[in-house]
Amino acid sequence: MLSGTLDIALWAVEKARSLGAEQAEGYISFGRELVVEVRDGKVETLKTAREQGLGLRVIAGRRVGFAYTSDLRREVVEELAARAVSNAASTSPDPCNRLPAPVPEYPVLDLYDRAILAATVEEKIEMARALEKSAREYDRRVRAVETAAYHDGEVEVGLVNSLGIKASYRGAYCGLYISLVAEEDGEAQTGFAVDYTLKFALLDPVKVGREAAQKAVRMLGARSLAAQRVPVVLEPYVAAGFLGLLGPALTAEAVQKKRSLFAGRVGQEVASPQVTVVDDGAMEGGLASAPFDGEGVPTGRTVLIEGGILQGFLHNTYTAAKEGVSSTGNGVRGSFKATPEVGTTNFFIRPGASSPEELIRNTPRGLYVTEVLGMHTANPISGDFSVGATGILIENGELTRPVRGITIAGNILDLLKNIDGVGNDLKFFGGKGSPTIRVAGVSVSG
Amino acid sequence: MLVEKGLLKEVLDQALEKGGDFADIFVEYKKTTGISLEGGRVERVHSGTDVGAGIRVVSGDTTSYAYTNDLSREGLLQAAGIVAHAFSGPRKECSLDLRRLRPVVEFTIAERPDEVKTEQKARAVQEADRAAREAGGDRIKQVIATYGDVVQKVVMANSRGEYVEDERIRTRFAVQVVAAEGSLIQTGYEAAGALAGFELLKEHQPAAMAEVAARRALGLLEARPAPAGRMPVVMSGEAGGTMVHEACGHGLEADLVQKGLSVYARKKGQKVAADIVTVIDDPTLPGRYGSYRFDDEGVPARRTVLIENGELTDYMYDRVTASREERESNGHGRRESYQHKPIPRMGNTYVAPGKMDPEEIIREVKNGLLVKKMGGGQVNTTTGDFVFDVAEGYLIVDGDVGPMVRGATLAGNGPEVLRNVRMIGRDLGFTIGTCGKDGQGVPVSDAQPTMFIGELVVGGTGHAGSKGKVKRV
Repeated sequence: MLSGTLDIALWAVEKARSLGAEQAEGYISFGRELVVEVRDGKVETLKTAREQGLGLRVIAGRRVGFAYTSDLRREVVEELAARAVSNAASTSPDPCNRLPAPVPEYPVLDLYDRAILAATVEEKIEMARALEKSAREYDRRVRAVETAAYHDGEVEVGLVNSLGIKASYRGAYCGLYISLVAEEDGEAQTGFAVDYTLKFALLDPVKVGREAAQKAVRMLGARSLAAQRVPVVLEPYVAAGFLGLLGPALTAEAVQKKRSLFAGRVGQEVASPQVTVVDDGAMEGGLASAPFDGEGVPTGRTVLIEGGILQGFLHNTYTAAKEGVSSTGNGVRGSFKATPEVGTTNFFIRPGASSPEELIRNTPRGLYVTEVLGMHTANPISGDFSVGATGILIENGELTRPVRGITIAGNILDLLKNIDGVGNDLKFFGGKGSPTIRVAGVSVSG
Repeated sequence: MLVEKGLLKEVLDQALEKGGDFADIFVEYKKTTGISLEGGRVERVHSGTDVGAGIRVVSGDTTSYAYTNDLSREGLLQAAGIVAHAFSGPRKECSLDLRRLRPVVEFTIAERPDEVKTEQKARAVQEADRAAREAGGDRIKQVIATYGDVVQKVVMANSRGEYVEDERIRTRFAVQVVAAEGSLIQTGYEAAGALAGFELLKEHQPAAMAEVAARRALGLLEARPAPAGRMPVVMSGEAGGTMVHEACGHGLEADLVQKGLSVYARKKGQKVAADIVTVIDDPTLPGRYGSYRFDDEGVPARRTVLIENGELTDYMYDRVTASREERESNGHGRRESYQHKPIPRMGNTYVAPGKMDPEEIIREVKNGLLVKKMGGGQVNTTTGDFVFDVAEGYLIVDGDVGPMVRGATLAGNGPEVLRNVRMIGRDLGFTIGTCGKDGQGVPVSDAQPTMFIGELVVGGTGHAGSKGKVKRV
């Protein structure tokens, strides 16, 4: 099937060349998806999807044009080629606009677990049921399950360009998601848990269900906290959210466009010596792993911050050409609807030596932050953040009472420098991962 | 027509092969344009064609949904077969005549974006770039301007024999300006969007929007850090409606209410806000970003009063949540695209204006925080706790607008804040946004008059006590 679809991409590339494009690239994908949502033991939603599409990028007169379509009929693809070439006429020329050349080989990755496809829909429904059941059985205060879902998908990606790249790969993933409400004395609190993996055998619905229930139940009775500056311990999910804020600033694109906090600081200390930040597009088992990026460059491992010292930035072919370096394989495409922009793949903080329990035990007074609200309102350019938060108060090294209705505020650079503890419990949430992190002092308002 | 009526009937018939209470199909043909400028260069001119159909069967509490890009007879019947496969009952007979429904409102598009040349659209982002740089000089480090338009044609048909054809045209424009001085970096943002064509840029001129964004970024360079603590807050009418969207809008969506995930569940007919508060969602307002003639399951749009003089009067329903209560949908079933099933969503949500002069409100409040522009927000509907970002804020000192502050976030609890609304102005200002829920983004707008809230948590890095004039309550 894929050889047929690659032919459509090749045909589009040739068509664009015949219309005057010096270089052209076709990115084609074919995906399948299944979502099962269960409620009170019954299937609430069963969603199946098939999606295909082609994105065509052309370079004509050093200008880039792009168009995409989900309709792959010949006459539509022909129109697509004409549209991409005419779009190029309205963009600004740049000598660094170019496509990558073919490479001898790509990393060989284990991305396609046949067990995901082999499992029946009934087995998958059963898994979602087990997820919901384990959450309800964890504690009688778990009152309502908002969503208990099993989700999987597979995708085939093909990439061709006029310089001779012709490559493809196939991948599959599966995951569980649950969000629920615990209630006591008329007060309701929410909890959720999520686990996505490349291996069907690694899914553990009982564990995920319990985690969500525990998160909701432990928040019952939460009150606010007076404004103060305290050490905070960030759960992996929360820490990964803050790490996500750093992603854009660690791209060469942001540096070249003067909107990176890290511009001109390679070799300098930008974080606590305990902090090492890595991006690895070829990581074993990574949700964002693929043999090549969105423009056909091999993926790989890039250490961005090592022991607190800034090492470098992520590149795609364009930003690399600007600086005369090689792409790091970070030309990331959201889908066939987008061009390859510099972005993170499997992006994480390397785990340290302390267990999360030790980090809490060694905190005389502080706040264990379990959830933040409004992370998307933080400013990745200035690094300023002020987000709503919930958590648990730490007193004499012990988690004492739940806290809600507060905000935590600061600047991400100060936060990085003030990290004084990195846990050994690295956990991934999609493409972003972090262990538990302790930060020396953060402004809390309540 | 995207798909012939005869084929639509066949598809619905196939979908109900194994039973079901309701079946529908949503066919979409969407053309998009996206243009972006950064660093003085027009970087991207993207065109998209998105074609697909979503087919749904509802049986009791179960929904089966499938979508495909393949609009051929085989493609659609195959998807319908997959949807039917979720059930195991007897065939549901449905005799369909597919009567075409007429909209309750009509909107006029003055200048269709698909008839405007790409060069002209690209000039708009260049004008914004020039204007921002002229307004701010050397301290302007970066200008990002984006233009987008969408022409979405849809056909909807269902087993009740209803058939709807519609076309939605939306245009948007946004400018973000980055200003810096020394090591301090700040950003200003301004956006406009509407169910409208290219005429949007006549009412909201790119250069004027760029100047506003540039002035905001420059102002923030001079601003002091926002205080932290609880204090009275005045939201200016021009600030937009992020608060009403988060503090009560989401909690009034019927799916969350029915699942017991909203603080407003089981409160219909009860007092949930101060007497002066009336909240309305009205997708029939002409030319707003969240306007529509039909929702995304073929129900004509209508104005819905959600809270009237403090009393909760209605929730926002789609077909599925409405049928659970044996009532009709009030036209709030929306979806991002054919790839998603419809769920209850907001359109244009606003707090009805009152009678007071906005300046009088500030004078009365004496000391607190004035929000001149709101940014994004988020809510936990179960607890009602929400936050939103203050894009432009000032201290109120002795009844006057004082110095600008930066980095403030406001946090509160929906029901508490609604009860704590003390004064309402006679103005009304809209902002636009893409509202995310269950992984689906839909265009919305929201608005508020100038409002005085007795107390909110202001999350800043400054210390309230040290700012002298700000009284902590």
